[in-house]
Amino acid sequence: MRLLIFIILIAILSAIAEMSFPWWVIAIIPFVAGIFINKKGGASFIAGFAGIALFWLVAVLIKDIPNEHILSRKMATIFKLPNYGLLILVVTVLGGLIGGLAAWAGSLLRKVN
Amino acid sequence: MRIVLAIVLIVITGGLVYTLDHPISDLPAIGKLVDPINGCWANAEPTGKNFTTDLKFPALKNNTTVWLDDRLVPHIHARNDHDIYFMEGYIHASFRLWQMDMETRAAAGRVSEVVGKKAFDYDRKQRRKGMVYGAERSLQAMESDPRTKLMMDAYSEGINTYIKGLKYRDYPLEYKLMGFEPEPWTNIKSALLLKYMADDLTGSTNDIPLSYLREILSPEMLRLLYPETIAGSATVIPAGTKFDKPSLAIPVAPKDSTFPHFTTKDFKEAKEDGIGSNNWALAGSRTKNGAAILCNDPHLGLHLPSLWYEVQLQSPGMNVYGATLSGAPGVIIGFNDSVSWGFTNNYRDVKDYYLIKKVDDDGSKYWFDGKQMSYTKRLETIIIKNELTYVDTVNYTTHGPVIYDRQFPAEGGLKKPLAMCWMGHKATNELLAVYLMNRATDYESWVDGILNFQCPAQNMVYADRKGNIALWGQGQFINKWKDQGKYIMDGSRSATKWGDLIPMRENPHILNPAQGYVASANQCVTDASYPYLYNGDFIEFRSWRINQVLSKTQNASIEDMFALQNDTYSTLAASTLPVMLKNLSGDFSTTEKAYIEQLKKWDYQLKADGAEGALFQIWWYFLYNRTWSGFSNVPALFYPLPERTMQLILEADSGKTNIPQLAHLNVLMKLSFKEAMDSVAKASNSGLAWYKVKNTTVKHLTNLPAFSYDHLKIGGWGNTVNAAKSNHGPSWRMVVQMGKEIEAYGVYPGGQSGNPGSKYYADFLPKWVEGKYNKLIFLPNADTQTNTNLIYTWTAHQ
Repeated sequence: MRLLIFIILIAILSAIAEMSFPWWVIAIIPFVAGIFINKKGGASFIAGFAGIALFWLVAVLIKDIPNEHILSRKMATIFKLPNYGLLILVVTVLGGLIGGLAAWAGSLLRKVN
Repeated sequence: MRIVLAIVLIVITGGLVYTLDHPISDLPAIGKLVDPINGCWANAEPTGKNFTTDLKFPALKNNTTVWLDDRLVPHIHARNDHDIYFMEGYIHASFRLWQMDMETRAAAGRVSEVVGKKAFDYDRKQRRKGMVYGAERSLQAMESDPRTKLMMDAYSEGINTYIKGLKYRDYPLEYKLMGFEPEPWTNIKSALLLKYMADDLTGSTNDIPLSYLREILSPEMLRLLYPETIAGSATVIPAGTKFDKPSLAIPVAPKDSTFPHFTTKDFKEAKEDGIGSNNWALAGSRTKNGAAILCNDPHLGLHLPSLWYEVQLQSPGMNVYGATLSGAPGVIIGFNDSVSWGFTNNYRDVKDYYLIKKVDDDGSKYWFDGKQMSYTKRLETIIIKNELTYVDTVNYTTHGPVIYDRQFPAEGGLKKPLAMCWMGHKATNELLAVYLMNRATDYESWVDGILNFQCPAQNMVYADRKGNIALWGQGQFINKWKDQGKYIMDGSRSATKWGDLIPMRENPHILNPAQGYVASANQCVTDASYPYLYNGDFIEFRSWRINQVLSKTQNASIEDMFALQNDTYSTLAASTLPVMLKNLSGDFSTTEKAYIEQLKKWDYQLKADGAEGALFQIWWYFLYNRTWSGFSNVPALFYPLPERTMQLILEADSGKTNIPQLAHLNVLMKLSFKEAMDSVAKASNSGLAWYKVKNTTVKHLTNLPAFSYDHLKIGGWGNTVNAAKSNHGPSWRMVVQMGKEIEAYGVYPGGQSGNPGSKYYADFLPKWVEGKYNKLIFLPNADTQTNTNLIYTWTAHQ
């Protein structure tokens, strides 16, 4: 239950931060969260990964669905991906990976203290 | 241990973030690009987007309204001239900002700044051509007329108002992909864009090829293969038109030879093949409705975002609709509530080359009439992304800039210094022509307008609601002596210099000819009775076809005009194929025999899915090349025109020819047919169809296939009225019936939005391919509108 709250917290905080800061706040927010959340490395990684992946996936879908995939189809072609679904998956996993690694690094710092 | 792992993780995460935040070679910064809030996803425009908005611009003098119709065409209603051009600029920027930026960079030779050294040679050539020099001179002319000054200032102000409101997330997608930012707009950019068009339309010139051909061919052969005018030309101004007596004396060519000889035999300039266009107007006597009908389809490079952008502009004294160039104010081709007009390129030669004789061992002087003259030096600073800035010194002579020399040889390697003398370098104000045409109320005021249009020279067709039709071969021309500027000239003598300007009222023109129509399609401008001398780069096939059809047209409807604009009848095939088939004999396979039978029954239409068009064009390709390959060392780029080749083949068929390859037509036909069959066999693997063979493509300006459309199912070719070639074609088809109610139709191969993520990006393309049209909504000049196709409103307050 607490893990779920952390995930949602990371997602929401990152979304707010990205409105006015560059995209790499998706590393900063989970990193800071990792320091404060009392979780083990593995659980922190999951919280960071899921939080950012959730945020990016929802944010992409909010844009892509009303656009009827006009843009995502073209962007998928540019990235040499067979379809827009895979593009969205890749973007989601990429965001998640950065969030997860950052949260894990943060959690390790806390244990050091 | 933990601290080590923590550091490792921080380094990995940081490294990943850093990598994704920076461009790698040609790839953009991926992280920035895929960021769902600010990256490419921000350009995913909802298909149901409501464009209605309220805007506040303190710069406006009055409140201004924009109605957008269901095709996203803006109808702008302003209460003064400043506001109309302010809003036009704001709207162009809203929908086409990146395109405007790139096109003006391309004009100015500033592409390397954003794409790196791969554009360096291109940029350098633009600089050496004097593009910026020409634009600066024209800008002076434009800014010294209060009307065009107001137009440009307000337009730039509108664009900059839009740019100022942008955050990274709002940038057009291409900026994010290429990793650069919009910069403030200035008036020079609009001037550059107009020079870009002038260069596109007067850029190709035969001077350099002809200088070479003169060396290798006898004068008789040169005349035979490269005649000044093609026999049987249906000229722009109908043959027999009485021209006024010239006000200037026709100069006599200097006695001694004025054309330098070249010993290098391998220079060449890539010849740009046929940028063409069609326009015509029918008098009421030939139309069903009794009103004049005007038609135009300028053929230009097919790109996305499209060159053209549709707009209606309303201000006191002006209500005009038509195609605008994003990057320049006003309507270029279109109609207002009184008159309509359209352009085709007029290929009279307005760009000449001079061989410069340098003073030995002195890089700063050249010979002119036995005197040493100093160059005017102009420094061109070319900024190159990720490289050192390059400064090129361009030498300006009395004729113009030295474009080619040892440091910058012409394509093919001519290293001698050549200066270019180009009408585009003159301080001309084409924008004033646009300003006045947009407000013209009758023939006289329209003519007053076009007389300001100097370069690029255009065949300007006209029709009005009173039933008048007219055609002008309009531009600024030089009173030349015979062959002046046809070849590279000796630049060391004043005798070769450009002389007086021909008064523009004396340009060839016709008002309401007896034949009841006027037509131009880049053919020769006049018959030999026109008093002034000129040469040019004229082509005839489309003109022959248009004249053939229009001369028989009675009770023409708008649909008949659609049909003619989309006509794929090949005059080349109709004239040449019977002779090709007649002289073809030998043993053929069953497939080959079947092809021959198909060709015999063909109606000469280059239909999209027709096999015959593909068969003929492939066969013609090999026939044409076989006729000229090896002939007197003429390089492939300078082969005689297909029109002339056709005529020579027909003459050879009736028994007289001086061309060795044409002496035995049966051999020529058999060999070329056999050669063609190899290519046909390959092409027929995917089903033999003309559109697949020619592959008409509309490419995005970045060349990204994802944003482009290829293998469009459209018929025609350069020699048919519907001149849809591989990457050139009808860029704006327009038909306007100038009756009591103006009825207008148009279509261009693109869409109103430049955003690849918008449903309006290429939504006209299918219609264009199928030869269908959009009905153009021409609103009355009023504060409120009732038309139900207007679905969004922008209200701009002061």
